[in-house]
Amino acid sequence: MTLGRHGITTRSGSKKLSTSLPTASRSSTRLLFAWIYPAGSRFQSRLRWLVQALAVPVTALALWQLAASAGWLPSFLASPLAIGQQLVALTLSGELMVHMQASLYRSAAGLALGAGCGIGLGLLSGVSARVAGFFDPLVSLTYPVPKVAVLPVLIVWFGISDISKILIIAITCFYPCFIAALYGVRAVDPLWVWAARNMGARPHQVFFKVVVPAAAPQVFAGLRVALALAYVMMFASEIIGSSNRTGLGFLIINADASGRFDLMFAAIVVIALLGFASDRLLLALRRRLLTGQLIAEELHRAQHST
Amino acid sequence: MAIVEVSQLSKVYLRGNSRVDAIQDVSLVVEDGEFVTIVGPSGCGKSTFLHILGGFIPPSGGTMRVAGHQVRGPGPDRGMLFQDLALFPWCTVLGNAAWALEVQGKPREERIAIAERYLDLVGLLPFKHAYPAELSGGMKQRVALARLLAFDPAVLLMDEPFGALDAQTRELMQEELQRIWLQTRKTVLFVTHDIEEAVYLGDRVVVFTARPGRIKEVVTIDLHRPRELEIKKDLQFVQYRNRIWDLLREEFLRSRQGVTA
Repeated sequence: MTLGRHGITTRSGSKKLSTSLPTASRSSTRLLFAWIYPAGSRFQSRLRWLVQALAVPVTALALWQLAASAGWLPSFLASPLAIGQQLVALTLSGELMVHMQASLYRSAAGLALGAGCGIGLGLLSGVSARVAGFFDPLVSLTYPVPKVAVLPVLIVWFGISDISKILIIAITCFYPCFIAALYGVRAVDPLWVWAARNMGARPHQVFFKVVVPAAAPQVFAGLRVALALAYVMMFASEIIGSSNRTGLGFLIINADASGRFDLMFAAIVVIALLGFASDRLLLALRRRLLTGQLIAEELHRAQHST
Repeated sequence: MAIVEVSQLSKVYLRGNSRVDAIQDVSLVVEDGEFVTIVGPSGCGKSTFLHILGGFIPPSGGTMRVAGHQVRGPGPDRGMLFQDLALFPWCTVLGNAAWALEVQGKPREERIAIAERYLDLVGLLPFKHAYPAELSGGMKQRVALARLLAFDPAVLLMDEPFGALDAQTRELMQEELQRIWLQTRKTVLFVTHDIEEAVYLGDRVVVFTARPGRIKEVVTIDLHRPRELEIKKDLQFVQYRNRIWDLLREEFLRSRQGVTA
């Protein structure tokens, strides 16, 4: 919006702000919309997106609440209002914070450890046949083993402590990261390496300034899988037990045992929200770090879809 | 002063029991500041010759010296412009142009100043914050050229750089390259399959034979510079073109016989 010589005009030059409401011949909500937010404004398109995205969940919640109020639901299905009340109570008492912190700490530490090792060893295996000779067969052999199967072993060694949880999350996150990094490196255009060497880059510079950024899109794909798995494993390890009685998974299993279904659903909502938020965070990070490659990818797709 | 001295260079590929002679007994001396173009039938090993000079492929025999030094691998004294450009898609235009200076450890301000100077020379300074994917084919060529010039190689090795461009853009890039070359006076070895391009750009045109690639003839192009694009219609230009075309036709026929035999 700019302040021109002839008074206030919107950026697109339309004067919707001063026009009066047209007659209600068409959908009145749409017209009200257009009246409040000039056509083509960014805010309007965002709002429309939000309305579309929320339409189904809000309707479902409303029906759910109606059914609950009418007393049609069994006791193990708490109403949305009860869940909401429980969420507020949990937040206000500070209890939620304790459980959330414990869960986030375990999954973040596990993810960092597993992804760090996976990406590091994967990248090294990609550039060095000798390193690959050590790790590639080992990974192939252990990859199909369900990682939860290792949890009892870890519990015997470390108890139902944070350490066993962090380790099982790390082991789970290692695989997708290792595989993505290894194949990311193998897909690097050798011409980029030639060009780098032509410009006088030393081997370590070729690695950090060509191989790593070139493999980054695939590494991010692996990280995204690992992130989802970290939450799955966090939950799985916490419902098996928690030595200090903390964690969202523990909250759920504890609520279940005492028949507190509103509390159980509240914890599930928090896990879902945390997962969603961290995935969005990762995508934002990816968008920021891989701008050039994402543009190339988008153009490539646009050219080949026509 | 001779800057590139190639003597009896050969390259043989052995695959199992089969033996392919890519190039054979190639000797060439290029003077400092000279623009030499190389033409030949496809598959004659002209690109292989350039890659050997760049140090990416080891030769099977012969010697090559650039600025008095034996070639022993890739190095920034011989800047290569690849056919596929090999721009880094994760770097901006400016990042690409300054990349070589960055790995050489030049301070940030200095490398940005140098990169901007060469982006200005190729006319792409307004696009310095764009990514390669956002540019057209001709613009990408200019970025690759600026990246090459920015690290100041003694010799520029260009492997069919305009091969993928449409006809009009290609002609404009030829004119542009001549303008930049007249300003920088670098030594250039330029491989192409386009005879007009070779005559238009070159001080000398090296004609390769069909495989195994040998130097068939070196034609000195005695046309004034700067050459306008209209020069391609001049009688003298057309005579040069026809002469090289005749030389090449013999090779095309010979390579075809080789295939049918």
